[in-house]
Amino acid sequence: MKEKFKVQSLRPELRPRVSKFKVLIFILLLFTIHYSLFTIAEAKVYIDISSPAFKKLPIAIQEFSGPSGKEISDIIRNDLEFTGLFFYIDRNAYLENPSQPFNPKNWTPLGVETLVKGSVQEGKDFSVTMSLYDVFEGKEIFKKEYKAEREFIRPLSHAIANDIYYTLTGETGIFRSRISFVAEDKDKMGIYIMDWDGNRITSMGLKGNIILSPRWSRDGTKLIYSTERNRQWGIYLLDFKSMSERKVFSSKGTNMVGDFLPEGNDITFSSSKDGTPDLYIMSLSNNQIIKLTSSYGIEVSPAVSPDGKYITFVSDRGGSPQIYIMHRDGSDIKRVTFEGSYNTSPSWSPKGDRIVFVSRRGTNQIFTVRPDGSGLTQLTTVRNNEDPSFSPDERYITFSSDRDGVKGIYIMRANGESQKRITPKNLRASGPRWAPN
Amino acid sequence: MKKTFVLVSLVLLVFGLILAGCPSRKVVQPEIEQRPTVTPKETTQKAAEVKPEEKITEQRFAKIETKEETPKYIEERGLFGDIQFDYDKYDIRPDAKPILQNVASWLIKNTSAKILVEGHCDERGTNEYNLALGDRRAKAARDYLIALGIASNRIEMLSYGEEKPLCKESTEECWTKNRRVHFVILKEAGK
Repeated sequence: MKEKFKVQSLRPELRPRVSKFKVLIFILLLFTIHYSLFTIAEAKVYIDISSPAFKKLPIAIQEFSGPSGKEISDIIRNDLEFTGLFFYIDRNAYLENPSQPFNPKNWTPLGVETLVKGSVQEGKDFSVTMSLYDVFEGKEIFKKEYKAEREFIRPLSHAIANDIYYTLTGETGIFRSRISFVAEDKDKMGIYIMDWDGNRITSMGLKGNIILSPRWSRDGTKLIYSTERNRQWGIYLLDFKSMSERKVFSSKGTNMVGDFLPEGNDITFSSSKDGTPDLYIMSLSNNQIIKLTSSYGIEVSPAVSPDGKYITFVSDRGGSPQIYIMHRDGSDIKRVTFEGSYNTSPSWSPKGDRIVFVSRRGTNQIFTVRPDGSGLTQLTTVRNNEDPSFSPDERYITFSSDRDGVKGIYIMRANGESQKRITPKNLRASGPRWAPN
Repeated sequence: MKKTFVLVSLVLLVFGLILAGCPSRKVVQPEIEQRPTVTPKETTQKAAEVKPEEKITEQRFAKIETKEETPKYIEERGLFGDIQFDYDKYDIRPDAKPILQNVASWLIKNTSAKILVEGHCDERGTNEYNLALGDRRAKAARDYLIALGIASNRIEMLSYGEEKPLCKESTEECWTKNRRVHFVILKEAGK
C-alpha cells in the first residue's frame, strides 16, 4: 500500500513534462494492485491448483509412530509427491522426533509450511491418528482417526492422503482410485484391477483368448469388455455387486465395446454384424439396438462424452483413421483431428473439455485435443504409447507403453510430466482404464 | 538531464516494488491469522478436538471362473498359404488371387468342410482399429470366395487384429508377413 502512495506523489511532478510516463505509472499501479490481490488470494488456499503459477507447498511427513508407521507415511508421501503440488522435505533433515509434540520452531528453519504427524495402534484393527499442522500459524488444522483391518492398510494410508490433499487444495484426491487392465495369464488373457499406484494387483479370474480394454460404468460398479472366446467376439458385463459375468452381445463378425452412457443402462459398441464395422447403442435392460452409423469403411471405438450428448469415434471415411465427433443419435458428424495420418483410441476427460487419443507419428504417441479440434498437445515421445484414459479428477492419465521392453501400464500427469511404470516389468499388460471413483 | 533523473528514479521505484513485493509474501504472514478458514469442515480447531473417525474398508473380490466351452470344430492349418495386404489396406492384391482360387477349388471338392478366414494386422497400429482392419481383410477374402461360388454359410470369419503375429520382430519383413489373411479348415468334431 505504501508503494502506491509513492507512485502517486510522483505524478504531479511528471504530468507537465512527459505524458507517456503516465502510462508507465498506470501500469505500475496495475502491477501493485494485481500484486496485492495475488497476496490475498494466496492467503486463502494453501495450494491454488487451478492457478498455472502455483507455488509447490513445502511439506514434511513424519514417520508415524507405532507398527507399520513407516509404511503408512511412505504411502502418503508417494501419493502427495506424484501430484507435483508439494515440495517434500526429506525426513533426514527433521529436528523434531516423531514422539515429540509439534513445535513450529523445529520446522520453520527447514522451510516447512505444513507438517503431517501420526501414530498407529495395533489392536483387533489398525487405528491411525493423523494430524496436519500449519507451521506458520503454529496450529493443528486437521485431525482424524482412521481404523482398518491389517489387509486394508494401503487404502487407509490413501484415505489419509486424500484428507490432507482436500484440506490443502479444496479438491478431492484420487488416491483411493483404482485402474483396471488386461494382462497375459498363462496362454490366455485375464482382467485385473490394481490401486492407482500399481499396488495390490488382483485378478478377476475372467479369461479370454484376447480381451480388449474394459470400460467402467460411471458409478464404478460394472465393467464392460470385449473378448474372443471360441472364435467369436462377444461383449461381456462384469457386475461387482453380484460378482458375476454375463454375455451382453455376440454375433458373427467383430464386436467391440465402446463405453457406457451416463445413465448406466445403455452401451455404445462397434460391430461388423451387417458387413462393415459400424457403431451402435444397445440397451442393457431390453437388448434393443440402435444403429448410429452406416458407412462402407471402418467405424470403431465410440467413446461417450461425460454429459452423454456426444460420441467421439474413429473412422476411415476420409481415407485414413481419424477422430470424429457426433451427437449421441448419430447426427452432425464432424472431424476432430487433421494432423497425422493415423489417429485412434479416443477417450474423454471427465469435464469433457479434452479428448486424449493415440496418434501414429512413426511410433504411437499420446495427444490431447479439444473436442472442436483446437489445442493439439503431444504428451509422450518415447517408443509406443497407447490406450490412454484420464483419472477422475482430470489431473492424470494412465496408458500402456513398450518403452521398457515388455508392454506395461504407466501413469503421468495430464501435462505429460512424471511418466512412470506402475506394473511389474515381467507382466505383459495393456488396456488400462482409470475407475471413476 | 532532468528526464534521465526521472527515468532512473522510476527504474529504482520498479525495483523497489519488486523487491518489496517478494518478501511481502513472507512479511504478510501475521495476516494469515485473520484469514477466513476456507478449509473444509473438519479443519477448524474445534473439529480437531472432536477427532472424527473413519473406518476404511472395501469389497473383497471373489474370483469368477470363465466357463470353457468345448470347441465344435477340429482345425486343420497349413494347407493353404496366407494372402498378404498393404499397410492399412484391405483390398485383395493380384498376388492373392491364385491362393483364393486354390481355397475355392478345395472347398468345391470337399463339400462337408467349412473354412475359417482369419484377418491379421501388423503391430504398428492400435488394437481396436487393427481388429476392425483385420475384420475388413477377412471380409474381403470372404467376399472373393463367395464370388468364386462358395456358399456364404461355409465361410466363417474372425479378426485377430495385431494380437496373433506370425513374426514377432519389429521389422518391415515381419510386418509384411503379419498383414495377412490365414485360412483354417474346420471339420466338425466327432466326424
